[in-house]
Amino acid sequence: MALLTNTASLSGSLGSIRESLLDQSSSNRALLLMAPLIAFELLIFVIPFFILLRISVAGSSTDHVFAEGTWSLEAYREVLTSDLLWSIIGYSFQLGAIVTVLAVVIGLFYAYAIWRSTGLLKSLLLFSVVLPLLTTLVIRTYAFDPLLVPAGLVPGTVGVVVAQLYIVLPYAVLAIYSVMATTDWDVVEAARDLGASRPRSVLEVVVPQVMPGIIVAAVVSFAWSVGAYAAPELLSNDITFAMHVEGLMLSDMRYPEAAALAVVMLGLMGVCIAGIFTVLNRFGGDFELA
Amino acid sequence: MTSNLHRETVEAVAFRAGYLTLFALMLLPLLVVIATSFSAGSRIAFPPDGLSLVWYGEFFQSRRWLEAFTNSLVVGVGTAVVATGLGVMGAFGQELDDGSLGTILAPLVLVPLLIPPVILGITLLMYFNEVGLRGSYWTIILAHTLWATPLVYFVMRSVFSRFDWQQLDAAHDLGAGPIQSFVHVVLPNVKHGVFVGALLAFIISLQEFVMALFLSTASTQTIPVLAWTEIRQALDPMVSVVSTFLILISLGALVLAVIATNLEWVSKQLS
Amino acid sequence: MSEITLQGLEKRYGETTAVEEVSIDIDDGELLCLLGPSGSGKSTTLRMLAGLETPTEGEIRIGNTDVTDQPAYERNTSTVFQDWALFPHKTVLENVAFGLKMRGVSTDERHERARAMLERVQMASHEEDDPTNLSGGQKQRVALARSLAVNPDVLLLDEPLSNLDKRLREDMQIELREIHEDLEETFVHVTHDQDEAFTLADRIGIMNEGELIQVGEPDEVYENPKNRFIEGFLGDTNFIDGEVARASEDAVHVETGLGSEIVLPAEREPAVTEGTELTLSLRPETLSIDGSTTSGSEHERPMMADGSAMNAVVGTVENVLYRGSTVRCSVSVGGESVFVERSAGNTETLTAGDEIRIEWNGADVLAFHADGERVTF
Repeated sequence: MALLTNTASLSGSLGSIRESLLDQSSSNRALLLMAPLIAFELLIFVIPFFILLRISVAGSSTDHVFAEGTWSLEAYREVLTSDLLWSIIGYSFQLGAIVTVLAVVIGLFYAYAIWRSTGLLKSLLLFSVVLPLLTTLVIRTYAFDPLLVPAGLVPGTVGVVVAQLYIVLPYAVLAIYSVMATTDWDVVEAARDLGASRPRSVLEVVVPQVMPGIIVAAVVSFAWSVGAYAAPELLSNDITFAMHVEGLMLSDMRYPEAAALAVVMLGLMGVCIAGIFTVLNRFGGDFELA
Repeated sequence: MTSNLHRETVEAVAFRAGYLTLFALMLLPLLVVIATSFSAGSRIAFPPDGLSLVWYGEFFQSRRWLEAFTNSLVVGVGTAVVATGLGVMGAFGQELDDGSLGTILAPLVLVPLLIPPVILGITLLMYFNEVGLRGSYWTIILAHTLWATPLVYFVMRSVFSRFDWQQLDAAHDLGAGPIQSFVHVVLPNVKHGVFVGALLAFIISLQEFVMALFLSTASTQTIPVLAWTEIRQALDPMVSVVSTFLILISLGALVLAVIATNLEWVSKQLS
Repeated sequence: MSEITLQGLEKRYGETTAVEEVSIDIDDGELLCLLGPSGSGKSTTLRMLAGLETPTEGEIRIGNTDVTDQPAYERNTSTVFQDWALFPHKTVLENVAFGLKMRGVSTDERHERARAMLERVQMASHEEDDPTNLSGGQKQRVALARSLAVNPDVLLLDEPLSNLDKRLREDMQIELREIHEDLEETFVHVTHDQDEAFTLADRIGIMNEGELIQVGEPDEVYENPKNRFIEGFLGDTNFIDGEVARASEDAVHVETGLGSEIVLPAEREPAVTEGTELTLSLRPETLSIDGSTTSGSEHERPMMADGSAMNAVVGTVENVLYRGSTVRCSVSVGGESVFVERSAGNTETLTAGDEIRIEWNGADVLAFHADGERVTF
């Protein structure tokens, strides 16, 4: 919930920075307290991305990771014209889309179950979400090896989807649940009173209300699944963009190309996330059951 | 009428079966990992072929694992300290702030969570190379802080929103300066939040893997990174032993956090 | 020496002005009540006095020191807050000793002084209690003890009684008054309750929309309200709109919806002319009622020997409301509705539909210009 509203307010707030810096009423103490965090985000997040951008337009070099001080669009040309890279990018987005849809649907169901349960059962269901969330994704991926190998599912896309789903599902469930928890059960009863069946009343009444949570769940699941690294690496022979970038960086030492690929991916993901946001937001008001 | 009732019953049973299955599936992988750690053989298999504690013995003999464990602790504690300091101060500052600078803080702090860790990893690797920080614990601590700070920050925002700020006025009014009033009046009221925030920051760092993979060197590699390299070479039950430890640490931290506050609240903070 | 001077005090938040040009001198040992509706700027003024808000403009002096730029923790003022703001994680004793602790007083001494103060407010038996378990009245006492323990130059009270029920509030008002007389310290008390202000105050300062409109002793403010707002705020009254029909050196005649002219005695050449619009205030306590109406007398307006004029109208009782010790009747007179009060013990009962005669002395009627300013004749 917080994620959504805050991200949405980013553009509006940026305009007011200047204003607030000049605002006399902002107490100095508050600024002093926020300064380290702002400085940290600038130094460890914002500036590094500018350096990434800079390296993406630098020329390549044979004896260094990139040719310092040079300007070249070679890396972008390389990324944008390579069929191999496009197929890798395509596979990454395909994986992201499948996992996102599954995570949202299952997340909605599980969040609903947590919401409707009480006492010990509720605690156990919440616990089953929080514990995997707090466990390293190496373990979460690795656990599928002994599980899926005997089942004959590995290697293959199904295994990757299942493992990646297990990685993002806890976030999806909690994002939806935290919004759902603020919703009033009476609205569902009212819908049922008006003649809606149980699943339908949930779909008509609950889903639109928890749309902010669904959007967060979708965005997080999508961003992380498109960038999936561990699950496809361990469980499949297909290459995702994350694996490719890792190869470019750590094995081939081709920094400009890795940077350009990262920038392209971020751009494409930004477009997709904006799309998810727009489409789901439209459903927020009235959910039309086809 | 009867058929409707019948339908409702079927629905209720299906609903129950559905979430109980999911419940089992959520915990099953972790149970599998724990079960395989007691394996007697040299390859992991489920169910394990014979039970023994032999791999636990191996763990405490292995310098590599113990070093990785130390690295993880150093990075985890470092992340917890830095993220808690930044997050608590930032959230506190925002409460005192009446300008709009604070409103850009939340989105700025949150955005790193939406960037795939691989991209964050390569970005920071390039950056730390440029500024000459490669190979230091600090690279991993700072990267993990990028992810842990939003958690601490939102935990503290939520805690501060329930704090009666008139108490701060009362403390100032009775002669307590800014630092005194924070220590004597604010902190005792929000210490549970600070504790849970720090604990979550530690766990996030302990479990994070992709950024650590990019940023660590042979001498700073953390448990998940070493586990990853091991998995790719040989699937022996040692990784399960290590994983069991990590799961138990998270479980312990979760129990502590729940004792300090409650499960429902902790869960909401994680989203 | 702790007389206080506020000079041209202003507080603006962006476009909105919370407090505008407030200037007042508060005497040493005085109990001043700032009275006004919510949003009138009284609490903001108090918070600036405490140092919890920084004035946009103006100056605050306590004693002979300019404290305008001093933060709250450097000022020797102490506030009792509306919700009392007790520290929930500290015991009652630790709460009361907190201010002394911040001043570096040793543990033994501060506990001793805190106990003495708890004794003063009859809370000695609760010193080890957790403040969250106390009743409203007890919290109120602890908050008072906590503020008094630091021996402030001025005690500031920000509606501390507003969360108590009526009975307890009245008891606490008397107790506060006693404590004030005992300590001979300067108190500034903010309230929106005019009864509370009249009970407590040496002087009352009435605020509205950020401005300090009138300052004076309770009876002075009540007898001589400066404008229509104060007249309306200090008590229920009948406002009747009218227009001057004739104005002379002796009397002003006002045409109103009551169906007859109201005569106000004048002492000098009145500052109104024919046609001037006025609002008249007929306070219920100045209206006497007579149930045995005789018709035809309402047009007689005998001038009294002292120059004041008796006015009388006849109306029909519309409804009767029992309000504890008084009975309030709304009476329809001409096109207007007027309410009158009588004590509940009165044997003569009134019921709806009764014809009654209402009389008053024209000298008791207050007149206001259309812009709200008081007019005297």
